[in-house]
Amino acid sequence: MKRRLLAVSAVLCSMGMLLAGCGANGGSDSGQKDSKSVITAFDTEPQNPLIPGNTNESGGNRPDSLIFAGLVSFDAKGKASNEVAQSIEGNANSTQYTVKLKPGWKFSDGTPVTSKSFTKAWSYVANVKNAQKCSSFFSTIQGYDDLQKVGSLKGDEQLAGLKDVDDTTFTVTMSKPDATFPIKVGYLAFAPLPESFYKNPKAFGNAPLGNGPYKLESWNHNTEIRLVRNNLYKGNVKPKNDGVTFKIYTKVDSAYADVQGGNLDVLDTVPTADTKSFQTDANLQAYNQAGSVIQMFTIPSNLPHFVSGTEEGTLRRQAISKAIDRKGIIKKVLNGTGTQPVDFTSPKTPGFSKDLKGKDNLVYNAAQAKELWAKANAISKDNDKFTISYNTDGGNKAIYDAMINSIKNTLGIDASADPMPTFQEFRNAVDKRSIKGGFRSGWQPDYPSAENYLFQEYDSAAAHGNGSNDGDYSNQKFDALMDQAYAAPSTDAANAIYSQSQEILLNDLPAIPMYYDNAHGVASKKLKGLVADWENMPVYSQLHK
Amino acid sequence: MGKYLLRRILQMIPVVLGTTLLVYALVFALPGDPVKAMFGDKPVNAAVAAQIRAEYNLDKPFIIQYLLFLKNALTLNFGNTFAGQPVISEIGRAFPVTIKLALMAFVFEAVFGVVFGIISGLKKGKWYDSVILIVSLLLISVPTFVTGFLAQYFLGVKWRLLPVTAGNDPGFLDLLMPAVVLGSVSMAYIIRLTRSEVSSNIAEDYVRTARAKGMSNRSVIVRHVLRNSLIPVVTYLGQDLGALMSGAMISETIFNVHGIGFLTYQSILKGESNMVVSIVTLLTLIFVVCNLIVDMLYAALDPRIRYA
Repeated sequence: MKRRLLAVSAVLCSMGMLLAGCGANGGSDSGQKDSKSVITAFDTEPQNPLIPGNTNESGGNRPDSLIFAGLVSFDAKGKASNEVAQSIEGNANSTQYTVKLKPGWKFSDGTPVTSKSFTKAWSYVANVKNAQKCSSFFSTIQGYDDLQKVGSLKGDEQLAGLKDVDDTTFTVTMSKPDATFPIKVGYLAFAPLPESFYKNPKAFGNAPLGNGPYKLESWNHNTEIRLVRNNLYKGNVKPKNDGVTFKIYTKVDSAYADVQGGNLDVLDTVPTADTKSFQTDANLQAYNQAGSVIQMFTIPSNLPHFVSGTEEGTLRRQAISKAIDRKGIIKKVLNGTGTQPVDFTSPKTPGFSKDLKGKDNLVYNAAQAKELWAKANAISKDNDKFTISYNTDGGNKAIYDAMINSIKNTLGIDASADPMPTFQEFRNAVDKRSIKGGFRSGWQPDYPSAENYLFQEYDSAAAHGNGSNDGDYSNQKFDALMDQAYAAPSTDAANAIYSQSQEILLNDLPAIPMYYDNAHGVASKKLKGLVADWENMPVYSQLHK
Repeated sequence: MGKYLLRRILQMIPVVLGTTLLVYALVFALPGDPVKAMFGDKPVNAAVAAQIRAEYNLDKPFIIQYLLFLKNALTLNFGNTFAGQPVISEIGRAFPVTIKLALMAFVFEAVFGVVFGIISGLKKGKWYDSVILIVSLLLISVPTFVTGFLAQYFLGVKWRLLPVTAGNDPGFLDLLMPAVVLGSVSMAYIIRLTRSEVSSNIAEDYVRTARAKGMSNRSVIVRHVLRNSLIPVVTYLGQDLGALMSGAMISETIFNVHGIGFLTYQSILKGESNMVVSIVTLLTLIFVVCNLIVDMLYAALDPRIRYA
């Protein structure tokens, strides 16, 4: 018996030694030796294979946007300039475009980037048979509707509006005017794909091959994604490091501790608990500036007493908006990681104006708020409870509590927050239109254009489940301006029309802007070149030590 | 013994079936639609969503989904994640990391738990007994995520004694802090368990008899007191190995250890039922096997059980 006990303890001991032994080998990370010129950055595990047309969340977007280069690229301020495109020429009413490519572009395996690399890829993404999440971005190209009929499709049908003229020229015919097209094509979903993609899309998604400033070295799922410089790339981006290694986290908190401890170079967000101290922490460098994400809450256009377009509804919407002490909430709850809004887009959107008529409706004014509410009550008395729903898994509780308090105290009405545990549950309720009150709505743009905010969220065509107009807002004047902007001869002309359309929104308040999310994050002290771009992301290519 | 083993193995079948059904039902009952969530705030192309649902059998009724999962699982095909990775290879990648972590925690809690427990039990009422009792009480009452964050902040960030997080391909030092945090609560329980067993056994008649026979104090304690005292401790340790594997979720997310807990957390967030159920099945098997080993160890420790 004694021997048996001894055996047990021997096993325990040898296990301990084995582990200690593992440590000796495993401890030295193979990436350490060239770490001087490689930047480590925060990421989450991509939800999808790294196929551009199937990537619609930041986990996949961070690496993918470095691996692929589109027709145009955006600088940190969101200004578009030609990348693979030599020129994108539109006709007078923006219904047809001729795209010429710069010669000599290659994918990182050496195969050339041709017109077909674009047209075939776009058709693939648009084709519903291939179940790509970004397919709706191609909806303005002629032939899109034909590629949505699930039953008869094989998956390789092409968009009728795309014609290859030669290897470096192709034409795009739109089904309706689309003045934003030359900007939209900078979005990841419009990236070119090499021929090898179509042989095995799934395998490709695991080992994507692009034409961007970086190429994939390895993707160790749920652990890290290594990118190294692509020497065949010849576009606008001039990388200042030799590679970017994305380390995968489930919790921002552990990434933040890693930056503090010198284990991670850059994190593009800050855990809520640390928003107070991240700018003064001596171990870190931090950035915090107005960004492109706008946080709002939508009030459904048919909510009793708040009906859009009626005098009572408009008065109440304005009263609610003016009853929110945004400045105080930003300072106290967000610790300054937000910015007071003045429109429905963001300060990072080209064409942004901070002098739109009606921007006063987004400023706290208790006296006016009370007055407006009383006027509305004179039309029809509202004794209903006013609620705002939000999902708690995104850390919104403190903000919504503060906001509800502000509304309740200013207007003296029965208002309360209606928290829902998960984003999924919340989205489900929004889609079913089952929320009888206001609800959280944030918007992160896909490409830097006012159109991406305004059309998607407030045009009638995007209402009733056809887009992201979740409040089903409908205003003919606004719709007409959207159409005009789409047919505008230039981006500047379109932006002027978008400003006009925003003044309608500032009066009607289909949604109530709360704040612009600041681009904020932290990096290790020794890192140089830290700037945030129009997507609130660090410009990875410019980081170096 | 052989017959006993066979019976125990056959018993595992209903346990595994029941657990998978239950877990599948729980994941299925999670509110919201994982496919819609994939689109975030962006417009959902209904046809695309339908395609994805069909691909993952999400359009079928619950029981069909479950039976399909079972059918595939029998041929060792656990399906793919939404990111297109085979579930089995994801688990294969994460599992060794968690085993390493759990074994380290296990060794830590077993060695320190038993040693401190014995000291405490033999020297009941002395000052170091009190210290051990207070420390173990503290460890039991403070939740793991608190100890985890505190350890991370002080040992990792502030004093830079140990790596802040484990990260890719963790070695012994990388896993030391998460393992200690993970094992600390169980260690406290083991201390208390061992202490009370030792202190009550030492007053038993057979111990007095042994002493009266003229046995040395050392062999009385090792051969009589310890062997009897360790039976409940071994039971606890055996079950705890399973609990460590599953309980790794909190310490793995805090220390960014890319193991099973990390994977489970992510999969629950994404509503990946295949992944969650596969992991739980695996953990169930580990639990059952650990219990089996405990029962075998009983026999080794206590002849009465062996001959019964």
